[in-house]
Amino acid sequence: MVAQRKLMASPVVPVLLSIVVLLVVWEGAILLFKIPAFVLPSLGAIVYHAFTDTGRLMGALMATLGEAIGGYVLGSVLGLLLAVLLLLVPLFERIVMPLAVAVNAVPTVAYAPLFLIWFGLGGASKVALVALAVGFTMLVSALHGLKQPDQAAVNLMRSFGAGSLKIVWRLRLPVAMPSVVAALRIGVPRSMIVAIVGEMLGAYAGLGRLIYESTQQIDLLSVWSAVLVASLASMVFYGLLVWIDQRLVWWR
Amino acid sequence: MNVFMQRLLCSPALAFVGLALVWELCVHVYAPSPRYLPALSTIAQDAWSVWPQLLGGFGRTLLETVLGFMLGALFGCACGTLFTYSRWMERSVFPLFVVSQTVPVVAFGALIVIWFGNSLLAKVMTAFFLTFFPVTVNTLRGLKSCDPQRIALMRSFGANRLVMFFKLAVPSALPQIMVGFRVAIGLSLIGSVVGEWFGETVGLGVMLMEAMNADQVVRLWVVMFACGVMGALLYGLLTFVERRLVWWRSES
Repeated sequence: MVAQRKLMASPVVPVLLSIVVLLVVWEGAILLFKIPAFVLPSLGAIVYHAFTDTGRLMGALMATLGEAIGGYVLGSVLGLLLAVLLLLVPLFERIVMPLAVAVNAVPTVAYAPLFLIWFGLGGASKVALVALAVGFTMLVSALHGLKQPDQAAVNLMRSFGAGSLKIVWRLRLPVAMPSVVAALRIGVPRSMIVAIVGEMLGAYAGLGRLIYESTQQIDLLSVWSAVLVASLASMVFYGLLVWIDQRLVWWR
Repeated sequence: MNVFMQRLLCSPALAFVGLALVWELCVHVYAPSPRYLPALSTIAQDAWSVWPQLLGGFGRTLLETVLGFMLGALFGCACGTLFTYSRWMERSVFPLFVVSQTVPVVAFGALIVIWFGNSLLAKVMTAFFLTFFPVTVNTLRGLKSCDPQRIALMRSFGANRLVMFFKLAVPSALPQIMVGFRVAIGLSLIGSVVGEWFGETVGLGVMLMEAMNADQVVRLWVVMFACGVMGALLYGLLTFVERRLVWWRSES
């Protein structure tokens, strides 16, 4: 009884249970209702296909990951830097923020064709797209976080002769860290999805390209296995970030 | 008069007018290739020449976006409430929700058409898939952050669970839920635009694809502006509702 309760209390068991239920429902539905493979292929077939086609999938994954990570890093850094800049120059904030909000009101996917024209069909256009999508989230979140500290604390530091930059570095940035990390987390799945969307519209390599080509050839098993690989990759990416976050809680 | 001038100088509208002027001037002075930057007046002319199609597409995409958002918001609020009051459900199903967000929904565009037919429903489902998650997370967070002292107070006055839910938990969670709504409305627009790429005849997403395939750069800008206007409109409407509904505290 105690062992059972312990088992239920561990964080992994309920998740595993629901995954098993999901798999059983998936496979069961296919067997029971004789769903044709083009509507919903069995999970076994997808995994099998992913294993037989490893070379192509891995090549595509590497291209997409490169673009997603490149854009993610670029966007996060630029977003954070811009947030600090806007904080230090209030006039700038009044001019830039409405524009940034307007730019953000346009869905990322609407920019994609334009970015392909500007930066070409190669990796650069996807990196730019991802950087824009990730960067805006970071800008808004970081700016919100940077404004959190009490005016009293800022005044105290200033009265001891600290400059604006010093206040940002010593007080505002540490306070803003949770907001920054939240933006980093949101950015992970977004960067993968945006990279894939960009590739679907035009690219030489990548998972999006693979998905687009396979859809055209009605090779739906390849679509499913590419989706599987993309999801797994973003889960690993996300898990890594959570792990780093838990290790580096120096700001709390 | 002086106050009026001061307010005008600080208003976001000035930033927009300024940018528009700089844009128009730059294009006339430097005359870049229209492939990279067409003049604003050219874009306006092009929009004027296709306004019936533009208006029709705008209405259709708006309908899909709003329906997808409402469906996602309802489902998200329901799930968030369920997860708050059933720890077991939260621990078993919530991780699956997180996983579902790593799935690039665009990749399923062709499949969604197979599943739901080439109908309004297919686009609404794409939008729904993108919207329910942020609403769920924020509802969960909002309901959980309810002040335990207030719960104890209400309980001591003999309030039953239903009264406590509607009189205490929901009002205190509303600001947070609204944050989720604001994220969701933008994602819903993305979902419906992308959903239209896979077989549809009206909508902004269709116009975007047509313009891209026909290499009409100016038309791309027109569609981008239309998307931006819709995004800003929906966001503004939501902010307005929020101010009315959560007048006591608005997290802006």
